[in-house]
Amino acid sequence: MAQSGKGKLNYRCPMCFMRDLDIDMFYDKDKKEYYCIRCQYVGPEEDVLAKNELIRIKYGRMYDRITFDD
Amino acid sequence: MENTFIVNIIHRPEMVPEYAEKVTGHGQAEDIGRKALLTESLDIFKFQQETAHKNGLKTTIQMTYASLFNEEAVSLAKEHHEKYGDEIALSLLGLPCTEFREKYKTKDFCIWMFSMEDKKNIVDDVFGKFHDIFGFYPVSTGSYYMDAELTNYIKEKYPSVKCAVATCWEEGPKAYHTCNNSWYTLFDGGPWNPWIPSKQNTHAPAANEAEDSGIVAIPHLSRDLLACYDGNGSNFGTHPQNVLRGMIYDSKTWEYPYLYNLIDQYRHLAKFNNGYSYNMMFVGPGWLNKMGRWEAPYELLKKSYEDGMKYYGDLKKEGKCVDMTMAEFADFYRENKTYEEPECALWKDILYGSDKQIFWYCDPYMRAQINMDQGGAIVDLRPYAAKLNWPVGIGTPHVQDASYPFLIQEKYRAGYFTHYAGEGTVRSAKISYNGEEVDLCLCRTKATFSQEGSTRILTLDPVDIEFYDLTVKLQTKIYFEEGSSKIRHERTILEMSNPDAEVEINEYMVACYGTTEYPEDMTGITLTAKNASESKTLTYEYKCREEDLAGADEVSAVIPAIETKAAMGASGSDATGYFKEGYAFSPMFTLGFTKTLKDKEVFSTWLSLEKAN
Repeated sequence: MAQSGKGKLNYRCPMCFMRDLDIDMFYDKDKKEYYCIRCQYVGPEEDVLAKNELIRIKYGRMYDRITFDD
Repeated sequence: MENTFIVNIIHRPEMVPEYAEKVTGHGQAEDIGRKALLTESLDIFKFQQETAHKNGLKTTIQMTYASLFNEEAVSLAKEHHEKYGDEIALSLLGLPCTEFREKYKTKDFCIWMFSMEDKKNIVDDVFGKFHDIFGFYPVSTGSYYMDAELTNYIKEKYPSVKCAVATCWEEGPKAYHTCNNSWYTLFDGGPWNPWIPSKQNTHAPAANEAEDSGIVAIPHLSRDLLACYDGNGSNFGTHPQNVLRGMIYDSKTWEYPYLYNLIDQYRHLAKFNNGYSYNMMFVGPGWLNKMGRWEAPYELLKKSYEDGMKYYGDLKKEGKCVDMTMAEFADFYRENKTYEEPECALWKDILYGSDKQIFWYCDPYMRAQINMDQGGAIVDLRPYAAKLNWPVGIGTPHVQDASYPFLIQEKYRAGYFTHYAGEGTVRSAKISYNGEEVDLCLCRTKATFSQEGSTRILTLDPVDIEFYDLTVKLQTKIYFEEGSSKIRHERTILEMSNPDAEVEINEYMVACYGTTEYPEDMTGITLTAKNASESKTLTYEYKCREEDLAGADEVSAVIPAIETKAAMGASGSDATGYFKEGYAFSPMFTLGFTKTLKDKEVFSTWLSLEKAN
């Protein structure tokens, strides 16, 4: 099995991101999956992207344009 | 100065951008002289400059040491100075390059972490080379952090310098943790908006000419004053790629209203600062890497930079924004601000939807955060009055830790809520009646800001405190008088369901000291309660002792490790002052006053800070 590298984009671990950790993931081209060296997350690109959407749940007003009139 | 919103746009031609070598060079042996890296770096700088100019904005070009060896970078700076009025300044970031490594035999690159001897050598080297090339010394400089000793040396040797990027707000343990404990920028506890640093400690603003370091400091970016306190600072600032880092954008449309909300909330701060508000945008070239940055492709990085610049540019066209170089801003600041004028920020959550509201106050004597979601409790307090001398760098007691110590920090030392036992740091009040007790930390409310003369006032909406058979309507007002080094809390019983009832109020402060999450040694702290005729005192030994004194004038704690005295006092002579020593599982001390209150009565207490050495 060859060594891992970076994928086409430099994805971070979504599980670590949820606990305020920016951890670059590495890509295992044999298994076609990204994995985190800090926690136990592994997943293909589609799963990373799906989890990245979950991350955004905490930003309840992320899509709102807010005014400051008062 | 009515409604003057100023923006400083800063770019640096960094020949070996932070991140770029690590990211683009993955899988290759380190080579910071790679031609591809140098070419890309200059391309990024050119793009940033072009984007600013296209939107009618002038910039401050902070030349890096490495860029002084690059003819094209030097020539671009000269050309843009002539054509667009950009300032040619000098950054102490961007030291890494082949020449630096060969000369200093180190991979260190953060100026504040070098030994004082090296700091002087590097400054002389960099300033000297800048002078050789441009024929003058810079007016502006900076780094992520500029320690007082460094600034004092620069100002003494190169008096032309009058402005510097001097800290990055709340970039401390939180940022360190986010980077898997590998990013050593530990400098919590500073001002969020420009200030005049004291000669003694960069974070602490100067109170007068004698303390004046001679520069106007600006923060590295304008940070979200709520999100950054609770999370990674590098996700929430006027730095479009930071917003992408936080994934605060629609992944389908690539829109990021949060960036504009953040800029607008900073503009809104003019209401609390005599019409003045400020923004700083300083994106290092590593954030516009052609390889993309994390999950953001280059196209998105580029778009976000263009959009950010366009927003400032449009504001300028509408007459709502003034772009200045750092040197111009320093002059503006000196002309329009006084030493003791505080920086105030009534801030609301614009990201999470919590509707929480906080108030930040900063002057030469303190930095404080008031949390309206906790009934007006003080949840962060830095005693600038001590003007603590805190050298940093190799050869000092604090090689990396440049944070200004706190007395209260609700995230690092808990706040109202603790697990199982002990207490967390907070300044609040408890109301008791017939064996029931309610802490105002649980009374969520909002505040309005006003100013009477030189006193800033927070008026909180009244809260209802419900006991089994009594409801008390109570209002809190908090006063910050310029130059007083005091915060005064005034509680008024507006109404009681039983007008004849009496409640007890306990105004308290639980505090300690530190710069990180981990406890410090409290041994030797002196706790005192006194009035004209009596004084009770003890020295901290973790013995869980406490004392009270009826009719106390003052209760206080002297903390030798941070040369600070924190004291509380109360209105009238019928309150009882007290102090509590903590214990090993609760390494805190408590100061407070208790008093019985009736309907319509008012109780006023103050918290003061002073230097103790």
